[in-house]
Amino acid sequence: MRSLAALALALFLAATAAAHVGSPNVFFEGRAGVHPLRVVIRPPQTFPGLAQADIRIADADVTAVSVQPAFLDAGSEALPPPSPAERVAGEAELWNATFWLLRRGSYGVEVKLESPRGGGRVAVPLQAAALARPVMPPALGVTLIALGLLLGAFAVWLSAAAARDTGRARFAAIAAALVCCAAVWGGNWRWQQMDRDFANALAKPLPVSSAVRTDDARNFLQLVPTREAPATAAWDTLVTDHGKLMHLFLVREPDFDAFAHLHPVRRDPRNFEGVLPPLPGGTYQLYAEVTHEDGSNETLVSKVNLPPPVGLAAQGDALPGGVMCLSPTAVPANAAEPTALDFDDSWHMGISDAARDKRAPLMGGGRMEFLTADPLVADRDTSLRFGAFGADGAPLLLEPYMGMLGHAVLRRSDGTVFTHLHPAGSISMAAAEMLAKRDGTVSPMPLSAGARPNEVEFPYAFPQPGEYRMWIQVRAKTGVLTGVFDVVVAERG
Amino acid sequence: MIRARMAPEALLLAAAIAVPLTLFWDFSWESTINVDRFFGPPHAANYLAVAAAAAAAFRLVAVSTRRGDGGVSLGRARGPLGAWIVLWGALAFVAALLFDRWWQSNYGLAAGIWHPPQIAKALAYFAVVSGAWIALVARQTSTAAAIAAAFAAGAVLAMISVVTTAQSFANRQHSSVFYELGCATYPLVLVAHALAGRLRAPASAAAGAYMALVGAMVWVLPRFAATPQAGPVYNALDHLLAPPFPLLLIVPAAGLDFLLRRSPGRRASSSGWADALECGCAFFGLFALTQWLFSAFLLSPGADQWFFAGGGRDWPFFLRIDPEARTAFWDFMSPGLDLVGGFVAAALAIGSSRAGLWLGGALRGKA
Repeated sequence: MRSLAALALALFLAATAAAHVGSPNVFFEGRAGVHPLRVVIRPPQTFPGLAQADIRIADADVTAVSVQPAFLDAGSEALPPPSPAERVAGEAELWNATFWLLRRGSYGVEVKLESPRGGGRVAVPLQAAALARPVMPPALGVTLIALGLLLGAFAVWLSAAAARDTGRARFAAIAAALVCCAAVWGGNWRWQQMDRDFANALAKPLPVSSAVRTDDARNFLQLVPTREAPATAAWDTLVTDHGKLMHLFLVREPDFDAFAHLHPVRRDPRNFEGVLPPLPGGTYQLYAEVTHEDGSNETLVSKVNLPPPVGLAAQGDALPGGVMCLSPTAVPANAAEPTALDFDDSWHMGISDAARDKRAPLMGGGRMEFLTADPLVADRDTSLRFGAFGADGAPLLLEPYMGMLGHAVLRRSDGTVFTHLHPAGSISMAAAEMLAKRDGTVSPMPLSAGARPNEVEFPYAFPQPGEYRMWIQVRAKTGVLTGVFDVVVAERG
Repeated sequence: MIRARMAPEALLLAAAIAVPLTLFWDFSWESTINVDRFFGPPHAANYLAVAAAAAAAFRLVAVSTRRGDGGVSLGRARGPLGAWIVLWGALAFVAALLFDRWWQSNYGLAAGIWHPPQIAKALAYFAVVSGAWIALVARQTSTAAAIAAAFAAGAVLAMISVVTTAQSFANRQHSSVFYELGCATYPLVLVAHALAGRLRAPASAAAGAYMALVGAMVWVLPRFAATPQAGPVYNALDHLLAPPFPLLLIVPAAGLDFLLRRSPGRRASSSGWADALECGCAFFGLFALTQWLFSAFLLSPGADQWFFAGGGRDWPFFLRIDPEARTAFWDFMSPGLDLVGGFVAAALAIGSSRAGLWLGGALRGKA
C-alpha cells in the first residue's frame, strides 16, 4: 500500500519556495564540454512524479545523453541511477528523457553527453514544486457520488439482511446508514484538512512588506518580511546572483508604463533597502528575486505606492510619445550603504505605440527589434531574439550587463506569469554556480550572443496563451537600454 | 473480471490471501524502487486479487441462488453473507481506485498519507478479506475447509498488520501506541476465530497462518534484485526490501485458545464481559511480554540475517536515518509503554475481545 512506504517520506516533505511566478519550466542554454546545448525541463506537479527533459544538441557526433537529478539537500552518494535520453523520432537534434522526482525541492539535474570529443556534462538547477490546487472534474465527481450512494444503499441493505434473523433488521439498517453518513462526513473533513495543508505548501510568490522612506534628497524603498512569512524565508542565507543579493523589479499600474530593475542592499537579515530612482509617483507592483544557500529561489511580491521624486521632476511625466531609459553612470557597484543607486540599476519610462510592432524605441533615438519570426505559441520552446540599433540605424555593440548580454522580464497581462530570463535561460545563476562548484562541472556561462554582436536571445516557452509585455534590457556604451514589447501568445493547437 | 474455474471457496481463499501479500509486495516495491505506475506489477497483482475475490463471491452467490440455499437474499439472488460483503468490497474498491488515481495525479504524496481515497481503499480491502473469512468460516465442513478458514483469518490479521506497519517497526515496539493499536485490533479476529473455527486451536492456527504469510514475504521478496530509480537514495538497496518481521501473535493466540477452549460448555457460553475481561487481559499480557522482548532481539545483531530481516540493516531507500537510530527504540516519536499506556492498551484489548466474542458467536451460529 502506497501509504506504508510513503509514511517516512511524508515526514520529510517540506515546503520550498518558487522562482518566478506561474512559469515552472526550466530553460537552460549553455555548453557541456565542447557541445552547445539547450535544455528544457518540465517538472511534475505532484510528487513522486515524472519530469521531462528535452535536450537539443546540434552536434551530430554526440552518441549518448543521460540525465541524473541530484537532490541538493542530500549528498552526492544519494544519487539515483541516470536516466538515458532517447533521440526524438524525426528530430535530428532533439533528445528526450524522463526521470522521477521523489519530492519537491531544489535539484541539480546533471546532463551528461558522450561523444568522440570527450563528451561533457553540465548541471541545471531545477526547483520542483506544486503550483496549483487540484480541482476534480465534474464527471468524476458525479461518478463517485453515484458509486457512493450505491455503496451506501448496499451497506444498509446488507446490514439489515444480515440482522434479519435476530429481529434487529431496522436497528442494523439505521446503524449502517449512520455509519455511512459519518464516513462521508469524516472523509470530507479529512479532505478539507489535507487540501488546506496542500494549498499552504504550494509554491507561490512570498508576500513582503514594502514601504518608502524619504529624506531631504532621496526616496528609499524598504523591504521587510511579513509577519506571516515562514522561518525558512529568512534573508540571512542568501547568495549573490549576478553579483547581487536581490534583483527587484517595479512596474507601475495600471498601464505598466514605468519599469525599474533595482538592486537593494541588505541592511540586516530582515531588511533590504535601496535608493529609488526618480520614477513617477503611483502604485507599483513589486517583484524581487533572491536565491538561498541551498539553491532554492524565491520571488517576493508586494504593492507599493511611490511618492513623486524628491527634489527632481518626475522623469517620464513629460514624454510625448517617447521613452526614457536611464541608469547610473558613476556610482560604485553594490554600495555598502544604500545612499546611492547601484551601478546596475536601471529604469525605463514611457510606452510607445510601437510596442506591438516588433520595433521598440530606445532612449536617444535608437531602436530595439524583436527578431523572432516564428509565431509565439504557448508551451512551445522558442528563442526570443532581439537586436539593438543606434539612432543612425547602425547595430549597437552590446556589453555585458551583470555578466549577461541581456535580461528579459516577461509579464502576462493578468499578472499570473512573471519571469526573469537571461540568455542562459530561466535558471538562477547563483544556483548554477553552486552546482558547478559542487559537481566539479563548468559554470554554465551563457553562449548568449545572437548571431550578431548587437543581438541577444533568450530560450523560453510561454506557459500560457495570452497577452504579455516584455522588457528587454541590454547595456550599450551609453548605458542600460530597455526595449518594451507587447506580444500575443496563441494557444497550442 | 476473471472467471472462477476452480472451486469458488479455493479461489476466494487464494484471493483473500493475495490481497495483503500484494500490498506487502507493493510496500517493498515502493520502498526499494519507487517507480510506481498504475499497472506496475504489485498493483496489477493487487487488482487481480480483488477481481478474483469478486469472481469467487459472485460464483458463490450464483450457486446458492441456483440451489436455493439459505443465506442473505437480494431480490431473487441468494448468497452467503461473506460473499455479499466481498462484492460490496469489490465495488468499493472500484470507487476508491477511481478516486485514488485522481488524487495521486493531483496531490501526490505532498498532501500527506491516509488521504480519503486511501482510507476508502483500506476499507474495501478489509471488506474483501473479511468477507472471504466470514464465507469460509461458514463452510468448515472438513478439516481442510477449517484450515482454509484459519488461513482466511490469517489474511485478515495480515491486513491489520499491513495498515499498521508504520507503527509496528521493531523500533516502535516499546511505545504505548504500538500496544494500543495491536490490542484494539488483533483480539477481535483472534477471539472470533477461536470461537468460530473448527480446528483444535483455531486462534493459534489463524495466528500461525498470519505469521507464515507475512514471513513468506520477509523471506521471498529480498530474493529479487532491485535498485532505487528515484532520488535521493539515502539507503542503497540491491534487492527488494523485506517487510518487518511478523508479530509473534501465536503466543497470545494460544492463550486465547486455552481460555476459550478449556471446556466445551464454557465455549458455548462465551459472550459476556467476564470472558472479554479474561481474554483482553490475557492478550495484552502475553502480547506485551512477547513483543517487548522479541523487538529487542529484532534490533540486535542476532537478528541481522535473512530469516528475521532485522538488526536494523534494511530501510526504505528514501529514509534518512542515523546509524544509531537503526537499532534503537524510537522513544522520540511516541511515549514509551507506561502504566497509563498499559491500562489503555488492556482496556482496548478487552473491548476488542468483547467484539470478537460477539462476532465469533454470530459466525459460529452460521457455521
